[in-house]
Amino acid sequence: MRHVTSKVLLIAIAALGITMVSGSAGVSSFAQEGSGVPEGFKKGELAPLPSAEMIEAGKRVYFTKCVWCHGVDGAGDGPAADRLWPRPRNFNQGTFKIRRTASGELPLFDAKKAVEAENDLFATVTHGLPGSAMPSWEGILTEEQRLQVLSFVTTQLIKDRKFDDKATETQTVLQLDEMKPIPVSKESLEKGAQLIVDKKCIECHGVTGRGDGNAFNLKDDWGFAIQPANWHKCWNFRGSRQDPYNIKNIFRTFSTGVSGTPMPSFADNTTVEERWHIANFVNSLCERDPEGNPLPIDPLTDKPKVNFVIRSGPVLEGEISDDPENEMWQKRERRIVLFGGQITHKPRNFVNRIDDVWVRSLYNDKNIVFLFQWDDRSKSVAEGKLPWQPTEVNVENYGVKEQAPKTGEGDSIAAQQSKYAVYNDAFAFQFPVKWQELPAPIKPRYLWGDQKYPVDIVKWEANGTIKAFTGTGWDQDFQDRDDYTEKLKVLKQEWKDGRWTLMISRPIKEDYDEDTYFEMGKYIPTVFFAWDGHNGDAGRKMAVSAFYYTVLEPPIPRETYIYPTLIAIGVVLLEGWVLTRRANKKKGKV
Amino acid sequence: MKVLIGSVLGGLVVVLIALLAFGVLPATSLKLVEGYMPMQMLVELAGSVAIFATVSYMLSQGGIQLPRFWQGILFWAYILLYLKFRVYPPIPFSVRAMYGTVSLIAVFMWVSSNEEDWKKFKQPIMNVLDANTGFHKGLRTVYLVLLPILLWGFSYSSFLPNLDEPVELRTVHPAPPASTKVHGKTFVLQTSQNPYRVNPEGKYDQEYSNARIVEQAMGRLMKPDANPWDEKAEGYLKYVREGGEIFFQNCHFCHGDNLNGRGLHAFAFNPIPANFTDPGTIAQLQETFIFWRVSKGGIGLPNEGFPWASVMPPWEQHLTTDEIWKVILFEYWHTGYYPRTWD
Repeated sequence: MRHVTSKVLLIAIAALGITMVSGSAGVSSFAQEGSGVPEGFKKGELAPLPSAEMIEAGKRVYFTKCVWCHGVDGAGDGPAADRLWPRPRNFNQGTFKIRRTASGELPLFDAKKAVEAENDLFATVTHGLPGSAMPSWEGILTEEQRLQVLSFVTTQLIKDRKFDDKATETQTVLQLDEMKPIPVSKESLEKGAQLIVDKKCIECHGVTGRGDGNAFNLKDDWGFAIQPANWHKCWNFRGSRQDPYNIKNIFRTFSTGVSGTPMPSFADNTTVEERWHIANFVNSLCERDPEGNPLPIDPLTDKPKVNFVIRSGPVLEGEISDDPENEMWQKRERRIVLFGGQITHKPRNFVNRIDDVWVRSLYNDKNIVFLFQWDDRSKSVAEGKLPWQPTEVNVENYGVKEQAPKTGEGDSIAAQQSKYAVYNDAFAFQFPVKWQELPAPIKPRYLWGDQKYPVDIVKWEANGTIKAFTGTGWDQDFQDRDDYTEKLKVLKQEWKDGRWTLMISRPIKEDYDEDTYFEMGKYIPTVFFAWDGHNGDAGRKMAVSAFYYTVLEPPIPRETYIYPTLIAIGVVLLEGWVLTRRANKKKGKV
Repeated sequence: MKVLIGSVLGGLVVVLIALLAFGVLPATSLKLVEGYMPMQMLVELAGSVAIFATVSYMLSQGGIQLPRFWQGILFWAYILLYLKFRVYPPIPFSVRAMYGTVSLIAVFMWVSSNEEDWKKFKQPIMNVLDANTGFHKGLRTVYLVLLPILLWGFSYSSFLPNLDEPVELRTVHPAPPASTKVHGKTFVLQTSQNPYRVNPEGKYDQEYSNARIVEQAMGRLMKPDANPWDEKAEGYLKYVREGGEIFFQNCHFCHGDNLNGRGLHAFAFNPIPANFTDPGTIAQLQETFIFWRVSKGGIGLPNEGFPWASVMPPWEQHLTTDEIWKVILFEYWHTGYYPRTWD
């Protein structure tokens, strides 16, 4: 609270200083001449306060929809709060992340304007904050209702500041809609790449922008752990406004900063041109398809659209390369697998820091090889020996606990992040044993199978071990399969700049009774698991996917060419027949 | 007369679209809104038919007669495009193909309803076949060459091994068991009642609680005089709040802040979690059915319900019986639905 006011004061003094200096000597290169306003911004008017009716109506919306996370007094301490990370916003201080106003200022809000460009808070409620628990309320609340609830929040729950207080508040608005982005070009990207080094972006966001820089020491204004954004997953940008590949959003965030977090505004030390170069570069890092087009985003989830089939490609001759840069891997289609936290059985994982993995696969006559690549801000290897056996799954007794529902701020999940004991990063995938005998679509239990339908699990850990297990239930210890473990191979394991690359080879055919027996063209149910050692993940506390299917793509059979050709020939004959018939008929008539 | 009505309607729709295009009406009114979607689509389809009638009426008044052949083709193409691009969430190709075939047959019936129409319809085809003019000759040659090539391509791609996701249809609400045992106590589904659905006298009272659930209008807001967060809230409303607290500590991760199945982890699932605001879920079910589903989770489903496709935990592992009943109470309150009764 004091922090915020002092910041405002500082800005006010700074603004005053700039005005005086530029007025006398004109040395400020970034501010517009004489105005004291950073380039690209303009002074705005404070909006009038909402009417009493709007506030009263908004209270009703708030206590139906919002109170559950944001709490009765808007302190971000509703019933859901202690198990959420990021923690729900504490409205009391009036600190809001996504704005078009200058750093330290209140966001744009006008209860009479349902226009996103003139109403930051309205845009936030409309689109939600992707990557957090704040959903999009568009289609649920009407525009009027969204304005009402914001009227209530801004007047009743923001306690330290007043939206119409001319003595303390100013509005300096980024003129985003009037600005023209600099088109993407090689030069622009090169300048952007240099600027993120010069402006020290990489200190937090990491040299490749995967958010792996200063990832474990950052705190927000309330003392909760916070992570730098991963530029490769733009769909998780809070300020993406459900339009993640739009560079204007990046430009805005960079220009105004993210209040309450260590992300500052760069309005005062970059030119508008430089900001566009940075936005172009950051946007260019976001994942794209092989043609370089943005990934299709599912509007229901704000995540990339998922195809639940992992296609393994045939390598007809020779060995499968262990180099991910090799042409055979680069040409191979990659598919995204999305992870949720394991929130079914204790200890539940409410916060999964690994939320996707890119999978590629190739096979030859002997082996099938999987290439997994996932972002993890830290390489985690446990110090010393872990207290449990690799086969043990019930690790609650060793201190791997789930977050209690009501702990208060101090022990909430947001405060606990970055404080966990460090275990091994790990990755696993499972297939049903004897899937050929499961009448489709029956599958085993997604979490390590069940008594009736056991699963074949391969688990790799960051200390370099790989093991084969049989799973017979979520609470049943794994059974070792040492004979099969010997046949598994880690072809590559590397953590670099916030990303794991892992390549695992396993035999196509082994003992039918115990091991997965891969057949071409068949749908083999597959589940993926990932553990982040710095998230305290171990045992059942992990990230897990839904059922996917692994399919070994058969080489294209000869029939695929023969039959269509026969059909085409048949069509030509048919055409001849129709034409002759028509001609004969006409002749007959004549 | 029919044409006149049609054109008036169509005219209205054209005006409506113009208003939308020029921003007089908010652009969001074009969006399909959850829960209202089927009605919206029916209105739109009716509107489209009216537009077609109007356009062809106006054209014929203006002396331009669009050939029946092109009318048929255009209408069919419109339906296909509508199904592909307008309907949301997208429907799979197989279903679209089915609708496409049905509408093709409908178009055929329309164009061949009498001898004259049929003649008009097939005239352009015959013209091309006969190739009496240079233009038709050229067209015929193009068709004769293109047709085998296109068919080759089409059959080639259909002969390629198809590795799409298999379609698996599950029974969403399988028949429940007669009774279920939770925390050592047996609950008979036909006779058990939610112990927290009570009036101020402490008696089970659906009418009392139904009068205090959220309103079934856009936004589904609570009744102004029935705020569970009111400090003085007692009985039913207090239990709703307690149920909400449990929901937001355990369930919203999947079922979402608005109980619409779009929680924080929902994107990872297939199928995505149940949407309670949809009239096809809890609104259709008895409270004890929900009690059974919540207590026993995905594992507890019979095979036709695809227990392996649900990660729903057996909540008896995490919650007490009382907590489960309270969560159910909250879910009905928050969605504004009445639980179904057994009779």
